[in-house]
Amino acid sequence: MTPAKNLLTYSYYPGCSLHASAKEYDESTRGLFKALGIGLKEVPDWLCCGATPAHNVDELLSLSLCAKNLSLADGVEGDLAVACAACFSRLKVTQHHLADSDAKRKQVEYAIDGKVSFDKPVKHLLEILAKDFGLDKLAATVQKPLSGLKVACYYGCLLTRPPEVPQLDCVEAPTIMERVVGAAGADTVAWSHRLECCGANFTLSRPGVVLKLSGEILASAKAAGADCLMVACPLCHGNLDIRQKEIEEATGNRFGMPVFYMTQLLALAVGVAPGKLGFDSMIVNPLPLLREKNLL
Amino acid sequence: MSRIGVFVCHCGENISRTVDVEKVAAEATKLPGVAFSCDYKYMCSDPGQSLLKKAVSEHNLDGVVVAACSPRMHEKTFRSAAKSAGLNPFLCEMANIREHCSWVHEDREEATAKAADIVAMMVARVKKDKKLVPITVPVTKRALVIGGGIAGIQAALDIADAGHQVVLVEREPSIGGHMAQLSETFPTLDCSQCIMTPKMVDAANHPNITLHTYSEIESVDGYIGNFQATIRKKARSVIEEKCTGCGVCSAKCPQKKIPNAFDKNLGVRPAIYVPFPQAVPNTPVIDREHCTKFINGKCGVCQKVCGPGAIDYEQTDELIVEPVGAIVVATGFELYSIGEKPKGSPIKGYGEFGHGTIPDVIDGLTFERLASASGPTGGKILRPSDGKEPKQVVFVQCVGSRAREKGISYCSKICCMYTAKHTMLYKHKVHDGQAYVFFMDARTPGKSYDEFWRRAVEEEEAVYIRGMVSRLYQKGEKVVVMGSDIAVGLQVEIEADLVVLATAVQPRSGADTLAQKLGISYDSYHFYSEAHAKLKPVECATAGIYLAGACQGPKDIPDTVSQASAAAAKVMTLFAKSELEREPIVAKVNENNCVACLYCKKVCPYGAVEEKEIRDRQGNLIRVVAYVNPGVCGGCGTCQASCPSKSVELDGYTDEQVMAMIESL
Repeated sequence: MTPAKNLLTYSYYPGCSLHASAKEYDESTRGLFKALGIGLKEVPDWLCCGATPAHNVDELLSLSLCAKNLSLADGVEGDLAVACAACFSRLKVTQHHLADSDAKRKQVEYAIDGKVSFDKPVKHLLEILAKDFGLDKLAATVQKPLSGLKVACYYGCLLTRPPEVPQLDCVEAPTIMERVVGAAGADTVAWSHRLECCGANFTLSRPGVVLKLSGEILASAKAAGADCLMVACPLCHGNLDIRQKEIEEATGNRFGMPVFYMTQLLALAVGVAPGKLGFDSMIVNPLPLLREKNLL
Repeated sequence: MSRIGVFVCHCGENISRTVDVEKVAAEATKLPGVAFSCDYKYMCSDPGQSLLKKAVSEHNLDGVVVAACSPRMHEKTFRSAAKSAGLNPFLCEMANIREHCSWVHEDREEATAKAADIVAMMVARVKKDKKLVPITVPVTKRALVIGGGIAGIQAALDIADAGHQVVLVEREPSIGGHMAQLSETFPTLDCSQCIMTPKMVDAANHPNITLHTYSEIESVDGYIGNFQATIRKKARSVIEEKCTGCGVCSAKCPQKKIPNAFDKNLGVRPAIYVPFPQAVPNTPVIDREHCTKFINGKCGVCQKVCGPGAIDYEQTDELIVEPVGAIVVATGFELYSIGEKPKGSPIKGYGEFGHGTIPDVIDGLTFERLASASGPTGGKILRPSDGKEPKQVVFVQCVGSRAREKGISYCSKICCMYTAKHTMLYKHKVHDGQAYVFFMDARTPGKSYDEFWRRAVEEEEAVYIRGMVSRLYQKGEKVVVMGSDIAVGLQVEIEADLVVLATAVQPRSGADTLAQKLGISYDSYHFYSEAHAKLKPVECATAGIYLAGACQGPKDIPDTVSQASAAAAKVMTLFAKSELEREPIVAKVNENNCVACLYCKKVCPYGAVEEKEIRDRQGNLIRVVAYVNPGVCGGCGTCQASCPSKSVELDGYTDEQVMAMIESL
C-alpha cells in the first residue's frame, strides 16, 4: 500500500504497556499511522512514566520520571505522540506542574541532572487523528467502513481529567472518540458509563473493586446495545477484557463483549491487514463479531 | 475667605488608631487662613455636629474642613450642619483621612503626616469655594414600572394607590411573572394563584395604571423627574379594544402542538393563545413564528371565527412615548439551564448531568408546574417521560449556584426553602412516595423558615443527604443519581423516578441591554447594582431609578414585595414635591472661550451636553457653543478634563481649586 502524502511527523512515546500487555495497541498504532502516512519515531531510551503508582508514593519521583522522558523526547523531531491514557495524563500533569512552580522545577532538574523542557506539545493519538490529521481526511482514507458495528466508546477517567490538564475535549461530556471512530464509519452508542473509572490498578490489590466497577461499565454498554467497547488505555483494556470472564462469573451476566483499542478498529478501517492488529492476543475473541459485520 | 475651621474626627478608633489626630489638628492651626481647629471622637454624632455649629458662630468661620471619612458617607451630614450654622453648605468640604489614609496605612508617623497634607490641600481648596445654590428641576409625577411580576405589580399598585399615574410595561403577553407559575408558596403553603391573580386584576383595573403587555423598553432619555420612555408595543395581531376574550380563536386554531413555555414546555398551546387561563389581560396573541397564516398564508381560521372582528394580521409594532418622573426596574429572574452554554460564555453547562438531555431530570419551576392545580397535569405529580407517578424523587440543591467552577459563586437563596416545600407537596400528593434531598447546608433564615424545613424532615420524612451529586444517568426507566454522603463518608447511589434540580437563580436574559438603555450599573452576573448595599438598597446610582425584586439579586416573595413597596415609597417621596432640588455640583461652559469643538459632548456619560446657538438681537446666528444641561449633568468632570480650551469647569472642582490644592503641598 502506498502511504498517503502527509507531512505530519511525531516523536512517539509508547510506554511500558505497549511493549508488554498491550502489544496490540502498539502494533495497531504503528500500522495505522503508516497507512495514514504519518511519521512516528520512537523516543530512544525512554523509561517508565510511573503511571498510577508513582505519584501516590512520591511526587518528586513521578515528576522526575516524566521530566526525564520529556527531555529525551526533545531530541526527536515532532510533537510527542502518546497512546496510553495513563502515560498521556502523567506527562501532561508533569508539564503543568513544572510550568507552574519554579521550586518544583529546580528539584526535578537536580534529580534528573539536566534541564527540564516542558514546551513540546504532548498529544494523545486521538488529538492527532481528530485535530492534526483531520476527520474529513480520515474518513476519506477509509477503505473498509466499520458500518453496522455498534461501538461503545470508553474514555475512562484519565483521558479528559484533571479538568485543567489534558484539554483534549469537554471534561464531562467529551465526543472526540465518537467523532474519530464515527469518521471510520462505525455507529456509536449513547451510554452512561463512558467516563467512569474501571478500577484501574486495583486489578491486583483489590480485584473485588475492579469486578464491580468494570462490571457496571460492561453492563451499561451492553444495555445501550453495543457490540463492542473501544478503549484508549491499556489499564482499562486489562480490566475489561482480561477480567471479563471473571466479571461474568461474579455477576452472572453474560457480556461476550470484545474490547478493542481504538487504533485496532481504525487500522482495520483504513485497510491494514487484520493479521497485523493483534486480534489473537485479545481474551474475548473479536473474530466472530468482525466476521458477522463483514469486516474481515 | 480667610477664617477656616478644621474639625478632625477620630471615627472611634478607625482613624485615631493609625493617625495622631491631635497632631493633625495642631498642624492645621499653622496653615494660613485657619482660625480654629479641634479633634473629636465622633464628629458625625450630635455633639460632634454641635461642636461644628458652635465653632462657626463663635469664631465667625467662613469655611469648614471636616477631616473624617469619605464624602460619600457624611458630606451631606456636615453640609447640613454648616447650613444650620448659617454658612452656605458648599463652603464645607471633607478631607478623607479614613479610606484614603488610616485604613490603607500602617505606619503611624507617615499616616499622620499624610493626613496633615490632605487637610492642608482641602483648606487650600475650601478657600476658593464659591457659594452655590441648589438647582431645582420640575418633576413629572408619573412612574414607569418595568416588569409585571409580583415586584412590578406591587410597586405599581402602591404608587397608583398614592394617587399617581403608573405605566406598567411587561415583555410577556400577560402580567404575573414567575409567581403566577408557582404552585404553593413557602412558608405558609398558600396557593400562589390565589394571592397573585387578584393582584393582577387589581393592577389591570386600577384607574391610575396604564398596562402595556407584550411590550418592551426601546429607549429611555432624560433624567430624574423628567424621563422620556419609548415603549415598543409588539404586534399582538389582535386588537385589544375589540377582543372580548371569548377564546374561540384559540379553540379553533388548527396549530395545536406548540410547547407551552408558561408550563415549562410540559404542555402544548395553539398559535393564537393566552399564556394561561388566568392571564391578565385575557387577550390572546398570535405567535407569528408558529402561525400557519404567517408562515405560508394558508389559514386565517381565527379571523373567520372571531365574532368581534378583533384579529388583525396586518398589525405592526407600535412605539409609544411616555413622559415619566421615576422608574422602577423589576425585571426579575430566570433559572440557570444545565444545558450546553454558547461558546465564549463563562458559565458552563452540566455534562455530568447529561446537559439537560434526560427527560426525567427537571428544574424547580417545572416541578412547580407539575404540582400546580392549573398546571399541565392538573396538579398530579407525573413524570414527563411516560406520565407515571414517581415513587422515588431526588432533589438536588445548589446546582450551578455556589459553584465557582461553573462560573456562579453566589447562593441562590430561595432553593433551600422551595426544595423543602417541594418535598412536602410531593408527599402530600404521593403518600407512598419517598423524597431525597442532596444538600450542602440548609440555609433557611427568616420568620418561620427554619421551622418549615424541619417540618419537611421530621413530619414529611424527606431524607436529607449532606453531599454533592457527581453524576446523573439514565438506566432503563430510572435515573441513577450518584452522590456522596459526607456525614457517613460513603458514596450513595439512588435509582430515582424523577430528579428535580434546584438550579441557580440568574437575572433575566437581556438584563444587561436594558441596564445600558437606562444607564444603571450591574455586576458581573448582570444583577443590577444598588447605590449602597445597606443604606440605599432600592436606589440605583442613577437618580430617579429604583430597583425591586430578583433583578437585583436572588429574593423570595416576601423580600420582593417588601422591596417593591420600598421602591414605591421612594417614588412617592420624589413625587411629594413639585420641584426637585439637585446638588449644584455641575459643569458650566464659559461661552466666551468655547470654540464648539464639542469634545465634551462626545465624552459626557450622561448626555448632558447640548449645542447652543448664540444669536444677535436681530436673530442672526453668530456662533455655536456647548451647553451643559444642569438637570442632566452628573458632576463627573469628564468634560472638564477633555476640554482643550479650558472652557468648561465643574463647580466646586475648578482648575483654580485643584491648582491651589497641589500648590499647598
